[in-house]
Amino acid sequence: MNMKTLHGFALAGVAVVLLACAPLLISDYWTGVLLGMTGYVTLATAWALFSGPTRYISLATVAFFGVGAYTVAVLNEVMPYPLVLLCAAGIGMIMALMVGLSTLRLAGVYFVIFTFGLAELVRQTVSWWEVNVTYTMGRYIFLPFEGRHIYWQLLALAVVTFLISWAIGRSRFGLALKALGDDETVAAHAGVDVTRIKLLLFVISSTIITLVGAIQAPRWTYIEPSIVFNPTVSFMTLIMALLGGAMRLWGPLVGAVPLFLLFEWLSVSFPDHFSIILGLLFILIVFVMPNGVLAKIDDLRKGGRT
Amino acid sequence: MSKPLEIMNLHKRFGGLVAVKDVSFKLQPGEVVGLLGPNGSGKTTVLNMISGALPCDGGTVRIGGTDITMMKPHKVAKHGVARTFQLVRPLPTLSVAENVQLSLAFGKKRHWGREARALAEEKLAFVGLEGRGDERVGNLTYIDQKRMEMARALASEPDLLLLDEWLAGLNPSELRIGIDLVQNLQGQGMTVLLVEHIMEAVRALCSRCIVMSAGEKIAEGPSAEVLQEPAVIKAYLGDDHA
Repeated sequence: MNMKTLHGFALAGVAVVLLACAPLLISDYWTGVLLGMTGYVTLATAWALFSGPTRYISLATVAFFGVGAYTVAVLNEVMPYPLVLLCAAGIGMIMALMVGLSTLRLAGVYFVIFTFGLAELVRQTVSWWEVNVTYTMGRYIFLPFEGRHIYWQLLALAVVTFLISWAIGRSRFGLALKALGDDETVAAHAGVDVTRIKLLLFVISSTIITLVGAIQAPRWTYIEPSIVFNPTVSFMTLIMALLGGAMRLWGPLVGAVPLFLLFEWLSVSFPDHFSIILGLLFILIVFVMPNGVLAKIDDLRKGGRT
Repeated sequence: MSKPLEIMNLHKRFGGLVAVKDVSFKLQPGEVVGLLGPNGSGKTTVLNMISGALPCDGGTVRIGGTDITMMKPHKVAKHGVARTFQLVRPLPTLSVAENVQLSLAFGKKRHWGREARALAEEKLAFVGLEGRGDERVGNLTYIDQKRMEMARALASEPDLLLLDEWLAGLNPSELRIGIDLVQNLQGQGMTVLLVEHIMEAVRALCSRCIVMSAGEKIAEGPSAEVLQEPAVIKAYLGDDHA
């Protein structure tokens, strides 16, 4: 490991410690903001883990997120909390395996459409099940957690996600992912087991996303399908990753922090126009910075030199 | 190091069209052989079946005694078959060196880290791209992209190299460079199967040729003789010239 990486790690370590101490110093409201932000940073980073290099744009984020939340809602009175989280991760993993095996052969827009459809399918299935089989429409989650407890769990998950993303980025699998994003045929003929690598990354990414939903679930106290399967979650995750740059380790973070604060402010100040503004932002980002802010800054720097 | 290639009764149909019909041939280790034929005669289809890009409907492909007939492309690559593409296909997100390192990392052996970087430079130097590993692929000229693709193919340490019209689209001086490069490979004992339309290159490189027409093998033998055969001239130029 060289000096630069060591410095990076030291800096990141200090930042994590400061962030972990923050809830002891700030008000509950700001802890809540920090919590939501950490959730989205983790979602965007996990999303970019798979969709960044492979360019398989997934809109299934909320399908996994919601399944995680629902697992906690169903199981929280049946078994101890750590076991509930383990179950959520397991269910997310199995679902990702099934979805991955059946869809990763689809390319481009077909994959996008499928993942969007999947999120709706899961939501409708859960709603139908709750209405017709269990005769409930919503569920209560009573876990003795305050905002900061949830925040600490999310922070830990975020750190793990960054470590995974960093490790993959410098391994030969990172190179293979970038290669298959460019041209799957060439990657395959170079010896890359394209299907297996895509599946593996999709499963890792989806499992993390499921866990974000599971950890955040106690925050709501009361959940129902329309809350935890809200497609806006998928779109926000996507746009955050794109704004920062989905091909870079820090890209999703750079995108998620300002956008989360902006959305937070917009939803309070302009609750009726929120969707319109979200849509406009989406278009703007895709047109002006298709590769993200970090790539744009790199370009400008290079442009300045020559 | 090279291994023989043995193809027996290879067969491929696309719907009602028989694209490749009962094609058999062998390549001895270290041989450079041309696979010729007019457009649509099934040459690239044969290449695709050898490299695993297309499943075949019948027949066998063996490399050094190992049956690789129905293997997926990445498995075929690990058994020592590398290829280039009819239209050059660089990976634009990766640097020139990374393009080569991909094959080093996933080819026959797993080379990674500093060692792989050094090996990539070695391969790049062999094809004439010394010290250009950090450049973006998009900044390379056409011939340099072709060179990079060759280096990428060689980096998986193949026993057999499939070149699909690798020399097409080059100007006369570039063609000379390309031919020299393949001759260098030949000097190292590489087995090469060459799909090619440029007769100058075929004469310079191939001791032997296989000619296909309408999915069938119509001739095989020493290049100079095969190119004189009436059936071959007829396939390329039509009845009047035979």
